[in-house]
Amino acid sequence: MELFSEIYSCYYRVLRHLLSSQNPLTIKDIYNRICQEGFEESLLSIIPKLEDGTWNLFKKEGELYLSKLSPSFTTPLTDLEKSYLKALLSDPRMGLFLEPAQAEALNHMLVHVPPLWQQEQFCYYDRFADSDPYEDETYRHNFRLLLDAQKNRQYADIDYNSPKGNRVHHYYVPIRLEYSVKNDKFRLLALEHHSHKRQKPEILNIDRIASVRLTDKTLSPSVDINAIIQNSYYKEPLKLRIANKRNALERAMLHFANYEKNTVKIDENTYECLIYYNQNMETELLIEVLSFGPMLTVIGNEKFLDSLKRRLEKQRELSG
Amino acid sequence: MSDFQELIKSFSNIREYVRDFFVYGFKTRNDFKEKSPRTYDNQRRRLESWLGPYVRKDYVSGGFNLSLAIDSNLLDTNPLFQVWKTKSFTDNDIQLHFFILDFLQDGKARTAEEITDRLLSDYEVLFDIQAVRRKCNAYAKEGLLNKQKSGKTVVFSLDNTLMQWLKSNENINNALAFYQMAGNLGIIANELLEQLDVQNQIFRVKHSFFVHTLEDEILFALLDAMHRRAIVKLEIKSSKREMKNTVHCVPLQIFTSTRSGRRFLCAYLGSSRRFTCFRLDTVKKIFTLEEADDYEELFAKLERNRPHLWGVSFQSEERHHLERLTMTIWALEPTENYIVERLKREGRGGAVTRTARNTYQYETEVFDCNEMLPWIRTFIGRILSLECTAKSVEQRFYKDLQAMYQMYGIKNPTDEQND
Repeated sequence: MELFSEIYSCYYRVLRHLLSSQNPLTIKDIYNRICQEGFEESLLSIIPKLEDGTWNLFKKEGELYLSKLSPSFTTPLTDLEKSYLKALLSDPRMGLFLEPAQAEALNHMLVHVPPLWQQEQFCYYDRFADSDPYEDETYRHNFRLLLDAQKNRQYADIDYNSPKGNRVHHYYVPIRLEYSVKNDKFRLLALEHHSHKRQKPEILNIDRIASVRLTDKTLSPSVDINAIIQNSYYKEPLKLRIANKRNALERAMLHFANYEKNTVKIDENTYECLIYYNQNMETELLIEVLSFGPMLTVIGNEKFLDSLKRRLEKQRELSG
Repeated sequence: MSDFQELIKSFSNIREYVRDFFVYGFKTRNDFKEKSPRTYDNQRRRLESWLGPYVRKDYVSGGFNLSLAIDSNLLDTNPLFQVWKTKSFTDNDIQLHFFILDFLQDGKARTAEEITDRLLSDYEVLFDIQAVRRKCNAYAKEGLLNKQKSGKTVVFSLDNTLMQWLKSNENINNALAFYQMAGNLGIIANELLEQLDVQNQIFRVKHSFFVHTLEDEILFALLDAMHRRAIVKLEIKSSKREMKNTVHCVPLQIFTSTRSGRRFLCAYLGSSRRFTCFRLDTVKKIFTLEEADDYEELFAKLERNRPHLWGVSFQSEERHHLERLTMTIWALEPTENYIVERLKREGRGGAVTRTARNTYQYETEVFDCNEMLPWIRTFIGRILSLECTAKSVEQRFYKDLQAMYQMYGIKNPTDEQND
């Protein structure tokens, strides 16, 4: 079984789409498809092969290209893919997606396939201990309703147990389900029903949701979720100076790899890194920076620097 | 650059380039000293072609930095999956792929001879029978085709039942949309989604390190070796010292950090009779050797060690068997009870005890308390005391704290009173 194989390549995918077309294609149609789905320089490789017939996959009629394949062309699964699916069947989160009968049907089709891995071959040693209850029926029910609401852009009535212990009622349209690998938890990113307000995503922990009821109302204009998230970022990024001691540079670069960042070398052993973040990420980012100790120096923004100094002042008061 | 090819033969050659651009993002052409400038230019051009929308160029003195601007909060997939879709192939490969699979769509079994004949009559393409047989055999090995022998005749067929089931099942598509970013070997879910022509528009994933996909070939080989309970020979290149060495070991488990972005192989070294961990990004090649006789026993031994493992280190600098660490913190009740929850949730089995009003003690025994320091520092602002049987850990904590006070001009409150 090969993971790096041409079977999964971008060129094969583009060609499969072109060959599945029931209609004759012009060279312009082919150009457009390659530009949409290929790499930036794929045109230079694919077009000549089709034009001169080296890849004799189309019948040419004048200026038109007709696929030689049947419209129902389907690529079967490889053993690697089957083995992967078999491994997923043992994942506790799979029950959020598949009904027991569906899991059983899939398992039956894969009965002779060994799983690509066993759960016990992986250990997430610093994952938090309070994972979401994936086996819990209420949790599963709520998860599936929210998934439906997200797909159909439907508003949902949500009863929520707030961290302070109050029961709160929300009327939200789910825009994304966010999973944290570290927390092993799902959160709901949702928008409130106030079109006149500047929209910002609200975040609810799915395991705190007591009940969900879908409504008939849908969100009509499409929402640019990325614009909403980017608008929520502080104008001034976190500015860090990294002294390359104790392998701090490599550790920091990998640790903060998930954030949008920009790093510049100042001199042989000093680097400056800008990290973009919003209010929701602030506390987590602050403790991540603290975890590096003196290897990172915060030099901006002022707000972040103040929060960091407050913690250090408190610490100095406690331990002298 | 007339011979520039967008596609590549081997994944391992490009792996380090992508990692350097993605993780660091400040290296200029001059920083890639190990490779020739020509190789650097070709690799850079490939990355720009594959990952165009994510590539950022910043002009600096001495050239420009090429980096990948990837913000996981904004992405529905892992852009680095593109690198897996760049395998080169021959003109025959791509034609045989589509013609053979298309011809066999009806599910009937055919010999290589029949297939070759029908490719000529139905598709007007002439192939050597050996080439057709080779491709059919290769695809049978990959599982795309079924191969059966009846007497001396070998026949090939295709079964689309599973793919049709996946196509008709929205729930599994949702699951794949999730697992491509949140699970192991997500590249396979991503490839399945592409075959199904489905794009993820539901999930976002936090704390998933996209760069891990670059190690998936290594991970895949290790899982296979673990499945066989085999000893492996690893070729390792140290990230710090650029040194290469080889190690014989029994691979037992993959250790993943959800915080630091590192993944390790936990293995047993027969030569020194101890467990050790190797970062997956430093493993360059794997050779699977013979079966380990005591595999189950070693795995059970690892499980017995686990309660005392904070991270990936099985031994402290001071070489004691176990170190004890006690941290006392201040958390205002009840408004700061979440801090106590943090100790329980993140403390990996350590005991949390309320010792007085607003005061809590966290205590644990692990092999190497030095590994705990990054986590301990996240409680800065609340730590009443820190004690450890490994004195070097205590000293390092307080020394670093003093360094931070100095860096940020934090004065000692008693000095201020005296002023």
